[in-house]
Amino acid sequence: MDYGRILQIIFTGCITGGLYALVAVGLNLIYGTMRLLNIAHGEVIMVGAYIAYWCFTLYGVNPFLSLLLSGLVTSFLGLIICKIIFLPMIQTGKSEETIQSNSLLLFFAISIILTNVATLLWSADIRGYSYMTKVVQISTVPVMLNRLSAFLVALVVSIITYLLIQKTMLGKAIRALIQERTAAKLVGINSNRLYLFSFVIAFGIAGLSGALLSMIYEISPFMGMPYTITAFVVIVLGGLGNIMGSLIGGFIFGLVETIGISVTSPGLQSIISYGIFIAVILIRPKGIFGRGL
Amino acid sequence: MISSRKKKYIPAIGIPALLIFLSILPFFVTDYIVSLLLDILTWVALTESWIILSGFTGYISLGHSAFFGIGAYVMAISWMSLPYPLIILISATSSMALAFAIGFPVLRVRGPYFVILTLGLSEFAKYIFINYEVNVKGTVGRILLGVPPIKTLYFSLLVIAFFTILCAYLIQRSRFGYGLFSIREDEDAAESLGIDTGIFKWLAFGISAFFPGAVGSVMALRRTYIDPYSVFDPIVSFQIIVMAFLGGMGKLHGPVLGACILTLISEFLWARYPHYYMIILGVVLVVIVKYLPSGILEIVGKLETAIRFLRTRMGCIF
Amino acid sequence: MHFLECRKVTKHFGGLTALMEVNLHVNEGEIVGLIGANGAGKTTLFNLISGVYPPSSGAIRFDGQDISGLKTHDICRKGLVRTFQIVKPFGNMTVLENVIVGELFGVHRDKTLVKAREDAIKTLEFTGLYEKRDTLGKELTIADRKRLEVARSLATNPRLLLLDEVLAGLTSTETAEAMKLLKKIRDEMGLTIFMVEHVMKAVMGLSDRIIVLHNGEKIAEGTAEEVAENPVVIEAYLGEKIKT
Repeated sequence: MDYGRILQIIFTGCITGGLYALVAVGLNLIYGTMRLLNIAHGEVIMVGAYIAYWCFTLYGVNPFLSLLLSGLVTSFLGLIICKIIFLPMIQTGKSEETIQSNSLLLFFAISIILTNVATLLWSADIRGYSYMTKVVQISTVPVMLNRLSAFLVALVVSIITYLLIQKTMLGKAIRALIQERTAAKLVGINSNRLYLFSFVIAFGIAGLSGALLSMIYEISPFMGMPYTITAFVVIVLGGLGNIMGSLIGGFIFGLVETIGISVTSPGLQSIISYGIFIAVILIRPKGIFGRGL
Repeated sequence: MISSRKKKYIPAIGIPALLIFLSILPFFVTDYIVSLLLDILTWVALTESWIILSGFTGYISLGHSAFFGIGAYVMAISWMSLPYPLIILISATSSMALAFAIGFPVLRVRGPYFVILTLGLSEFAKYIFINYEVNVKGTVGRILLGVPPIKTLYFSLLVIAFFTILCAYLIQRSRFGYGLFSIREDEDAAESLGIDTGIFKWLAFGISAFFPGAVGSVMALRRTYIDPYSVFDPIVSFQIIVMAFLGGMGKLHGPVLGACILTLISEFLWARYPHYYMIILGVVLVVIVKYLPSGILEIVGKLETAIRFLRTRMGCIF
Repeated sequence: MHFLECRKVTKHFGGLTALMEVNLHVNEGEIVGLIGANGAGKTTLFNLISGVYPPSSGAIRFDGQDISGLKTHDICRKGLVRTFQIVKPFGNMTVLENVIVGELFGVHRDKTLVKAREDAIKTLEFTGLYEKRDTLGKELTIADRKRLEVARSLATNPRLLLLDEVLAGLTSTETAEAMKLLKKIRDEMGLTIFMVEHVMKAVMGLSDRIIVLHNGEKIAEGTAEEVAENPVVIEAYLGEKIKT
């Protein structure tokens, strides 16, 4: 295996990883603050992807602009879903396990609804568009410009998210809520408002990642589930609720997956992905940065 | 008010009567009605078998369709090589064997993580089959020719559904059932009272996998064309859950009710508006989980209580 | 040879040592109290004895058999059963059904359902829950839930009962009733009781012997009077002399 090929794998892995890191952040926020596993996460990404696709193919809007639009639309979706469905449920005072199981079913239902709405609106065909497909050379490795740009945007958004979480008061409150829910409430943190906020941000970032992904990959109403699975693996690897951890975990998983595919074959990507997912749940590691299942 | 003694006779007479009725019916109605009933029986069997695991132990599985898919594939592979009833038996047994094989590690995972694990496992199975079919066999789907007439399929499913309900019924009234319910209510407490929760969950898992395997094998013949996408479809698992929640998981006839209602709704919607059907199902599930966790039977139960209350108040007017 | 014996039992959780070389024993027919501040390691000890997790080192012997590392359900079948600090009733099952579970899966494992039901009724009568037999677990008051927890454990036909703060949260009337029941269990059924308690008056009044844990170590042992006078115990836990 020559040097160039290895470098290419690493590049591809990093780009994929960067995107995965962003994809995972949303799931981690909702899990960390509310202990809910959003299995509709991939479908929210899908919605973001379709919005960007729509804007580009119908109105010729620059996908980088529709990033914002996707993010806004999905944020709004998150707002509605959280307020109407989940906040009332958390407040019923049922046991944690009941709320978690019920939420899973609710998210499952939402994912089915979103998938079918998308199919109704845009048909089940796989769609895609070409944007920025010029190829540039980074040292000896050819990289498509759209991938590079997507990676850079993902990086920027990840850094912004990281700064938000680490440096702002809001971020501190969210971290407090993640680490110690009861105590956080006792010191006056308005948990309901923060739940809503995390939900909205999580959905927003998911929509944004969807828009980024639409620049590079083909999209379909059924593209969501694999991303949900990936996001889940990443957040377990990085430590549940650990935002920084999942950013790094995303990179690692992206690299591992890319290497795995290059060693075996692209057709096995799903099997590898789900295989890792299953292994991760069965073995339930504490994650690389602590805090396991 | 029915006295409790009379209550015992109703199922004793009612069920054989129902069975006889269902056995004679196909000869007096159109094939369309037979296939509709066949669908209902399919979902009844699938949902009841799901209840044996998820209803009784509380371990909610989103991957029940995997066993259905395995049954379908066993049939697709062995059709024409072996006698029909034998294949059904082998499908069911293979499905059960797989469940037993993976059961122990899988069931050690608790709560919501078990739920998503089952989803992951089902998808994993799907992609393994896709990969095998595409890479080893060349084409994704399989065709089954020379399938039995619809009445044969109907009677097969009638038998399968009957045994599924019978199995669930027997478990519910047995020592084993007590153990399963205890696990659902509080697994740690159950363990502390001497119940080997690991084995009990494992058994429930395996038993619950037997019947969908059988159902899958018959359905493969009905559809005459199968591929991994359709037989391992999460929609199958999804519909099972909606039916179970709709009908209520407390009583055995809950799933029957749920299956009937949903099959009839889908009959009207599926052919022309499958996506609307799915969306409606999604909304139904959301509503039920939020407001009616015990299913429609909860409403029926509340109505019954209300009526009884009114009766005692009104005295002899009723 | 003692009925229940812990020999140099130690438990580490990662870097934290919850129990350090604890030696204690319980004799058959005794009521022994286990007291100590929160975090002293009492529930950890109970979890070790009942098989929730194995000790890091040391041995636990029950009726001459080594039970360290056995699973909880196996330990229950040998006649050692525990109740939980936060009660765990089977909420959607009736009181009777709750106790039937105990009858079916305890020491005697081949009862028919009919026999289990009969035995359960006797257990309910013994523990004063017969009138509430058709009430659902989740509809019970806290005092009745505690009573149910005890009844359910009794149904398994144990010889040693581990009670984890069974008196917590009870009013003084309820506490007095519970104490009567516990004495009855020891006197009429010949059971041995090993109980963790914070309600000082009760544990001092009931116990033949008291063991005191502090920071994972046993710091004192003796009758209620001896323990109450013990300066080490007073400093660590009691704060001031308790009138026994």
